[in-house]
Amino acid sequence: MNEHSLSFWLCAALLVGAALFTPLTAFAGSCCGGGGGVNLVLPKFYESMIDLSVDIEQYNGLWNNDGKYIDQPGYHLWQYRMNVGYAQRLTSRWQASVTVPYVWNYNGYPNKTSRSDGIGDMTLSFWYEAREDRSAWKIRSPGDLIPAVTIGPSLIIPTGISPYDGVSDSTDVTGRGFYRLDGNILLDKTIHPWSATLAMSYGTYLERPVNQEYSKFVEPYHKKLGDRTSASLSLSYIYYLGSGGDTLTGTASCSYLNEENGTIDGRQDATSGFRKETVGGAIAYSSTDHDWSFRVSWSHAVRHDGWGDNFPTTDIYTLGVRYGFR
Amino acid sequence: MDSANVRRLLLVMCILAGCGNMTNDLYPSGSNKVPPVQPGTIGPAVGQFAPDFTLSDTLGNSVTLSTAVTTTGVQGTVLYFTMWCPICDSHMSHMLSATVPGFPGVRFFAVDYVSGSAADARNAEISAGYAGTAFTVLADTQQTALNLYQATMGTTVLIDRNGVIQMNEDYKDGARLRTALTELP
Repeated sequence: MNEHSLSFWLCAALLVGAALFTPLTAFAGSCCGGGGGVNLVLPKFYESMIDLSVDIEQYNGLWNNDGKYIDQPGYHLWQYRMNVGYAQRLTSRWQASVTVPYVWNYNGYPNKTSRSDGIGDMTLSFWYEAREDRSAWKIRSPGDLIPAVTIGPSLIIPTGISPYDGVSDSTDVTGRGFYRLDGNILLDKTIHPWSATLAMSYGTYLERPVNQEYSKFVEPYHKKLGDRTSASLSLSYIYYLGSGGDTLTGTASCSYLNEENGTIDGRQDATSGFRKETVGGAIAYSSTDHDWSFRVSWSHAVRHDGWGDNFPTTDIYTLGVRYGFR
Repeated sequence: MDSANVRRLLLVMCILAGCGNMTNDLYPSGSNKVPPVQPGTIGPAVGQFAPDFTLSDTLGNSVTLSTAVTTTGVQGTVLYFTMWCPICDSHMSHMLSATVPGFPGVRFFAVDYVSGSAADARNAEISAGYAGTAFTVLADTQQTALNLYQATMGTTVLIDRNGVIQMNEDYKDGARLRTALTELP
């Protein structure tokens, strides 16, 4: 296989992988606010890339503390996020990216409506391409089954509006208010025309002092959110459109997100942990030269008991476009 | 990344860092800025007399705060503001298991400020599993109590038998509420 063919498959695989990251890092419905950023991975042989996406998150009830699904008819809560991302290759194996979401909250309760908007939490990421997928076409030996491995840290920067800022209503928040350091790993294996991706992440929030809650000064305390584990497994099929090089990639995925209990002044806060499991699908179109790509994805939280704890049940629809500079 | 791109990235981050309210999170402060209050005044702050209100509970009974607070045998009154969200459920569930049993002389009210009527609040109460618990759910359909106490989701207010506010902040892990309940006059 020549270098260009390999780059194509890696592009396609990483495109899918990057799309899968969206529901992992996005946080919650508008009732409990927060626009988390999106990780952005630059395909091989690209120098830089711009990514623009829009998330539409619809609130469909919640899972309570016992994992029971509770429908809430009459609640019309939406959060829209526009994510602007830029990735830059630093060396042949290292790359960096930054993503900034802008968040709009639309909250319609039976007795209360509100709208707000603001910047969400920013994500700054570094990626190291530890191993390439050396055989995307044919398996000749067991070694050819070893996937491409991309690893790196990311930092969530609390640029959003959080409960600890000058905001008086809980429905107006656009971020969580904490720095978070994540370790990420992306495993990807392509055997034409199939591709499988496993994305995993473990993150820890940094403890911070708090002296106000929703614009109300309180006796200061120290707070830390719980460590966060996320994983997403996906399977993709790449389909050629006509005789040209345009491709359509279909992806099915399942994702898991868990956040442990946080702490207040070092004591465990038993009310704060949550869990969420979702299924999803995505379709991505890539132009012949692969510089342009467009994607549509859907992340669905299953509205049944046991698929989550202490978390809003939402659907997230994403439209995205990106352009890569070689 | 060349130096020009680094400078652009830093510029964008600096602009963002200077925007609006986010500086409290980027550079969080632990200094105590709770303003002093004038004793004997009425208001939502700790140390002030609790503003009075009358609301309907979900069974249609009228509840006046000043009457509830001064009822014989009531040592304290807790108001918890709920919009029936996941964290609200987590707080209320935790309060029922970790706090209510230890303070039999305290009344617990859940103030529903998002339902449009007492009947809607009753449906939300039943759906969330709080019917028949220690919480009396009040339908704050005009958001009267919400505004009087400058409250939002999770705000927890403790009022002593003299009508003085002893706590008005987020529930968090409930430890501060339990401490304040223990120290009730």
